[in-house]
Amino acid sequence: MQQFFQQLSDGLVLGALYALIALGYTMVYGIVQLINFAHGEIFMVGAFGGYTLYHYVLPSSLPSGIALLLVLLVAMLTSALLAAFVERVAYRPLRNAPRLAPLITAIGVSIALQESIRLFYPNGSVGKPFPQLFPRGTVDLGGVTLTYVDLFVISLALVLMLTLRTFVFRSATGRAMRATAQDPDTARLMGVDTDRIIVITFVLGGLLAGAAGVLQGMIASPIDFKIGFIAGLKAFTAAVLGGIGNITGAVLGGFTLGIVEALATQYVPNGSALKDSFAFVVLVLVLVFRPTGLLGESVRSRA
Amino acid sequence: MPLLEAQGVTKRFGGLQAVSHVDLTVEEGEIVGVIGPNGAGKTTFFNCLTGMETPTSGRITFRGAPLPSRPDRVTVAGVARTFQNIRLFHNMTVLENVLVGRHTRNRTGVLAAIGRGPRYRREERDALDTARELLQFVGLSPLAEHLAKNLNYGDQRRLEIARALATDPGLLLLDEPTAGMNPNETAAAVDLVRAVQARGVSVVLIEHDMRFVFGLCDRVAVLVQGEKLVEGTPQEVQSDERVIAAYLGRP
Repeated sequence: MQQFFQQLSDGLVLGALYALIALGYTMVYGIVQLINFAHGEIFMVGAFGGYTLYHYVLPSSLPSGIALLLVLLVAMLTSALLAAFVERVAYRPLRNAPRLAPLITAIGVSIALQESIRLFYPNGSVGKPFPQLFPRGTVDLGGVTLTYVDLFVISLALVLMLTLRTFVFRSATGRAMRATAQDPDTARLMGVDTDRIIVITFVLGGLLAGAAGVLQGMIASPIDFKIGFIAGLKAFTAAVLGGIGNITGAVLGGFTLGIVEALATQYVPNGSALKDSFAFVVLVLVLVFRPTGLLGESVRSRA
Repeated sequence: MPLLEAQGVTKRFGGLQAVSHVDLTVEEGEIVGVIGPNGAGKTTFFNCLTGMETPTSGRITFRGAPLPSRPDRVTVAGVARTFQNIRLFHNMTVLENVLVGRHTRNRTGVLAAIGRGPRYRREERDALDTARELLQFVGLSPLAEHLAKNLNYGDQRRLEIARALATDPGLLLLDEPTAGMNPNETAAAVDLVRAVQARGVSVVLIEHDMRFVFGLCDRVAVLVQGEKLVEGTPQEVQSDERVIAAYLGRP
């Protein structure tokens, strides 16, 4: 029983990470119906932004709390700017193209970003140790052991998700985002600059992905140019599981997937060797039995 | 200076000339009707007036300046519209729909929204006040928190008008405002359009209901096969033989 709860809490940590990345997939899909397969790389580049700041810019005498804060901010900004840049140069020119064109472009962007990172850093194929700036230590909750880092990951993810939720459902810009997602033509006629709203959506997804990049570095150092691929696929699965286009669904899907993965690793024979495959078993099951996802509505045709 | 001036507006789709050399002038405070048989190019003409379509040729000015070529800029300039087939944001509340219309009149950006500074909060409050006032104006206050998709047909049409008015237009374009309405709802629509005019907003409307058009409009233009056949007061248009022929066929 104790082991079950231990896996459950590990699943929550993993799930928080998936949820943060999944939000970027789901928001972009909601607004432009594009599966942004480069999103995993945006997450990866964010992690490298934080790594670079720490190793090449910050003085080593800086207190680790301040350093962590700066690493987090720079990672978020790196991912956000990259997401906006990719939207501008790769997706916007294809706004009215058949839907397959931006999808293929996204895969191209994804490979381009991976290779850029691999070639940019000296010895780029080798993983880079991510700075461990958070105090080490564990808390014991009735036999379940959580590290301080675990708690930080879950808390930061929750704070970011709640902030996003408030933004989308309470602010004027969030309202314009939801209007654009439902009917972009009408939103434009109501004076909404939909191009701007689309960039904002990419930026929001980027901010969350950058934060997730740092969290990934904290729980699974070292980082390399490939971490975006598997994390991106799993987060995409989480978004589909929750119902793509649905923000609450992405969070639910992320946590569900994290927990399934942690439990399956423990209880399925030879589970840890199969660790990365459970997400895709879930994906297949979702696509077979509930293609719209847990909270998804059936896709309406746009008039 | 007229509020809206369209000169020689032409729109071709491939070989089809949907709108040919149409002139239309709207003065401040007027209600102008555009009528014509199905397929006469009325909606295409409207689309040209809102930046949804770019005219193949012709000139459109609003308040003396050329009409922008992007729908959101047209709205900022002061032209708003409703749709023949209702296009509300169905999964948002009635109040939120109107607030989206308010979007363009808010000046503070994303950062202010995250920071929630005093200026941002004041703008949100003003937007909310305006939206509530407009809902009262069209008689939807009690339904403010309902989802738009749950409104009945007449109320959805009213909500579209409230949402369009939220953009602070000088000119409101109504595309078949009484389509699908029963006589009671149509009568209420007459009152509503007059009330819109009394707010200082000029109106151009496309309509099939002749009684509605002739009872309401200061001027009526008749489009037939993309061309303007006649324009004049309701009396002039009603007694024009070409109009009668276009609608009923020549004896």
